[in-house]
Amino acid sequence: MSAHRDIDAELRFHFEARIEELVAQGMSHDEARARANAEFGDVDATRRSLREIDSRIARRRNRAEVLDGMLQDVRYAARSLWRTPAVSITIILTLALGLGVNAAMFSLLDVIFLRPPAGVVRPAELRRVWSERTFRDGTRFWPGFDFSQFSAVARQLEGQADLIVYGVPSQRKLGHGETAPKASVAAASATYFSVLGVKPQLGRFYTTDEDRVETLTPVAVVSDAFWKREFGGDAATVIGRQITIDDQRLTVIGVAPAGFSGTELTATDVWLPMTTSLGPRASLRKPWWQNPNINGFQVVLRLHPGAPESELAQRATAALRRKGIGWAQDTATVAAFGSIIAARGPGTLKAETAVATRLGGVALIVLVIACANVINLLLARAVKRRKEIAVRLALGISRARLIRMLVIESVLLSLLATVAAILAGQWGGALLRVLLMPEVRFAASPLDGRVFAFSLALAIAAGALAGLVPALQSASPELTSALKAGSRDGVSHRSRLRNALIVCQAALSVMLLIGAVLFVRSLHNVKQVDIGYAVDRLAFATIRFDTRDSARDAALGARIRALAPRLASIPGVQAVGFTGMRPKFGISWTDFFPDVDTVAGKKPSGFYTAVSPNYFSVVGTRLIRGRTFDPDPMRSLPPTVIVDQAMAERVWPNTDPIGHCVHFDSPNAPCATVIGVVQTNLFQSVNEKPEPRFYVSLDHPPFKAHDESEIVLRAPADRLVALQKSVAELLRAEFPGAIPITTTMSAVMEPEYRPWQLGATLFSLFGGLALLVAGIGIFSTVSYAVSQRTHEFGVRVALGARASDVLGQVLGEGLRVVAVGVVTGIIMAYLSGRLLASLLYGIAPTDPLTMLIVAVILMGIAAIAALLPAWRASRADPVAALRTD
Amino acid sequence: MTSRELDLLQGTLDVLVLRALSWGTMHGYAVARFIRSGSDGTFKVLDGALYTALHRMEERGWVESEWGTSEKKKRAKFYRLTSAGRRALRAETDTWNDYVAAVARVMTATLEAAT
Repeated sequence: MSAHRDIDAELRFHFEARIEELVAQGMSHDEARARANAEFGDVDATRRSLREIDSRIARRRNRAEVLDGMLQDVRYAARSLWRTPAVSITIILTLALGLGVNAAMFSLLDVIFLRPPAGVVRPAELRRVWSERTFRDGTRFWPGFDFSQFSAVARQLEGQADLIVYGVPSQRKLGHGETAPKASVAAASATYFSVLGVKPQLGRFYTTDEDRVETLTPVAVVSDAFWKREFGGDAATVIGRQITIDDQRLTVIGVAPAGFSGTELTATDVWLPMTTSLGPRASLRKPWWQNPNINGFQVVLRLHPGAPESELAQRATAALRRKGIGWAQDTATVAAFGSIIAARGPGTLKAETAVATRLGGVALIVLVIACANVINLLLARAVKRRKEIAVRLALGISRARLIRMLVIESVLLSLLATVAAILAGQWGGALLRVLLMPEVRFAASPLDGRVFAFSLALAIAAGALAGLVPALQSASPELTSALKAGSRDGVSHRSRLRNALIVCQAALSVMLLIGAVLFVRSLHNVKQVDIGYAVDRLAFATIRFDTRDSARDAALGARIRALAPRLASIPGVQAVGFTGMRPKFGISWTDFFPDVDTVAGKKPSGFYTAVSPNYFSVVGTRLIRGRTFDPDPMRSLPPTVIVDQAMAERVWPNTDPIGHCVHFDSPNAPCATVIGVVQTNLFQSVNEKPEPRFYVSLDHPPFKAHDESEIVLRAPADRLVALQKSVAELLRAEFPGAIPITTTMSAVMEPEYRPWQLGATLFSLFGGLALLVAGIGIFSTVSYAVSQRTHEFGVRVALGARASDVLGQVLGEGLRVVAVGVVTGIIMAYLSGRLLASLLYGIAPTDPLTMLIVAVILMGIAAIAALLPAWRASRADPVAALRTD
Repeated sequence: MTSRELDLLQGTLDVLVLRALSWGTMHGYAVARFIRSGSDGTFKVLDGALYTALHRMEERGWVESEWGTSEKKKRAKFYRLTSAGRRALRAETDTWNDYVAAVARVMTATLEAAT
């Protein structure tokens, strides 16, 4: 190493000079050497420490030089970008689009999949407990448990894991009145906070004594966000304050630390002891802690260090299968532990979440397409800068340095784009949240340090990629030789690269467009399904009270039904009916005993809905056989029941059920005669086989049925908005203090159609953007090719070629490249189709018609994009062309 | 070398080297000679320590080095004070003078003043 040589040389000089001087004073050479050595001290130690110091100096100098060179390059890059503002801005916007889409997608996927809940200590030790349950459509992992299941598992795992149980937060009313704000409230066991490792910032959390199942302790713990929002963050008065949730007065005893908002996606504002939240003895036959129907509790555990996880899961399974725990039919259930991040499974993803993951891939595709365009633009600019680059190469700048300079230029561009992208990502991330998961109330804003870091990393990668390809081209030796020869040569490999870019853009656009068309057609298909309701023409209305009054509430159904004539006179209303419960709002079921034993051996329990006689005609459910209920509410009638087709087939297969008998509640109950069969309509989801159902009369139920009457109104789609207001006014006037609730069947169904609606909207949006970008790419590539070949076209025209021949040739050449891209894209779509298969409805991802439609769209756009430059080529002036040589 | 000498030298070597270089650019051996002749043998500086001090000062940015040719036409490494080095010399000189003055005051103080 030269540094070591320098030190040796310096010391050698010292000794030579000293010895020389001492010899001159009259010493012998040996004496002089010994003296010099003595004066110096330990030579080796000195040499070592000098080497150490010098290598530090050298390292620092290197760093400074590299930094200096970088700074120079950045300054140079900034200057050259400034000189061509139009190209720079186009590139920045293109990249900002690609990066912004990714920032938005990342912000969503990060929260759903990557980040453990904030404020929780050592989340890696936590496990969410799932159980594999048998549903009608197969087995599925489910995160909900009833309390007896939780208790059994907790006892079984004692000493090796600490368990907590809590409810998913629900939106509950804070205070009274129609405009009262809502709070996100969750029931949580007393161990919740300590097991998660959360410490109160004010006050305390509730104790096990305050969380006994038999007693109700009216205390609440609030989140930091809630404390700041509702109490202005006042630390002096928050403890001991009273809040009212769903007509229950509670005392605030503690404030959770900032940042902690529970373990679910939806932030929790208020935590209550279990019984405080669920009621000591609900109006159900069994209290919540003994009731297997109340089975939506989440169970999370913290494994003790070294606990054998798979063995614990087996023991949890054994606990769940024990007799008297959970549902009687849960004997085959399997417990499984998953990450605290619920989306990581083992449960299946919600359809919207699944769509979001595919959109993450789509966002990356959009970025690649944007990068291809940027490469195109940079290539075009590199052509204009050929002279400058040639001069730099001639002046002896190294190729590596030149490439570095050009890459720095594009990285600078993409960093500028990041600024725009992060703003777009913030906005887009918020939009995606509203679109994809409107029910979730997220705790934090979509933009944070992680999104920022991700965007920055992606921007640098994209900038380096987009810059490297043209930079390698520009710095290639062929270019310099081409320069000497003139602009017409050395173009062929450049246009090969451009053609490759077009193929790539066209192929990716085709993939996105195929996705878009598949979703659009799925949405169309799913809306065509006859779900037994006139979805676009129904409104529902009912009332709720903030307080309970059993006498008033008992008479409510009849009073609401008595409003029928006045409701019918509201402008736009075509028909008025009533039901105990609107579709998809909830379920009611009853034990039943038919006059045949086809369902023997199974628990004879069935779902029912109480309806007015005209309900079927109002909502659009077809009556297939028999008749509906007698419309006269005053007459005393023998009990009757109507069944849907699914029920008819299940209980009376291959027979006409009309005239048959069903005993509700007990085998000794009076016979309810089947008087009609109606179409099986939607139960909970369009994706499932509907559940068999009874319909009973609201006026003459054969058993004590759930009869909180809801009003059903049929009206033209465009009248529904105004009509809801009129109904609400009427109800407010009729029932002082009541809060009217109105909705439409379309709103009820919106979450059902949402995955396809979202897929259709977002894939179309991204596909459209991709198409636009690809169109611009095709246009600029063909234009460039034409401008390079003006001479050739001129010669051909001079030789007698007709304009249409030239036009056809240019168009043909352009479209050939696009066609290669289209075919590539179709093959890629075919291969990746299975990624979408589970999200589509009534259409295969490899649907040939879809592929044909997309091919035609893309070729059409390509033809339009290539037409103008082709037309220009056909008008090449032969005289001008020949003169340039 | 006794410990008494060491204590003296550790604190003052830097300022002596800076002082030597304040007369102009010189190589390491010239600095050594300057210190040796200036002190008249009152204290001994190990030449190794001197070179370590020079390199450390270069790291600190007090001196710059350059290879050149000595009076006897040999390749030698020359050192030169930077402006930071000159500032350091001024500061160190002041500190040194204050120290000397303080010691002198104590040494010349009369018993009367102490009572």
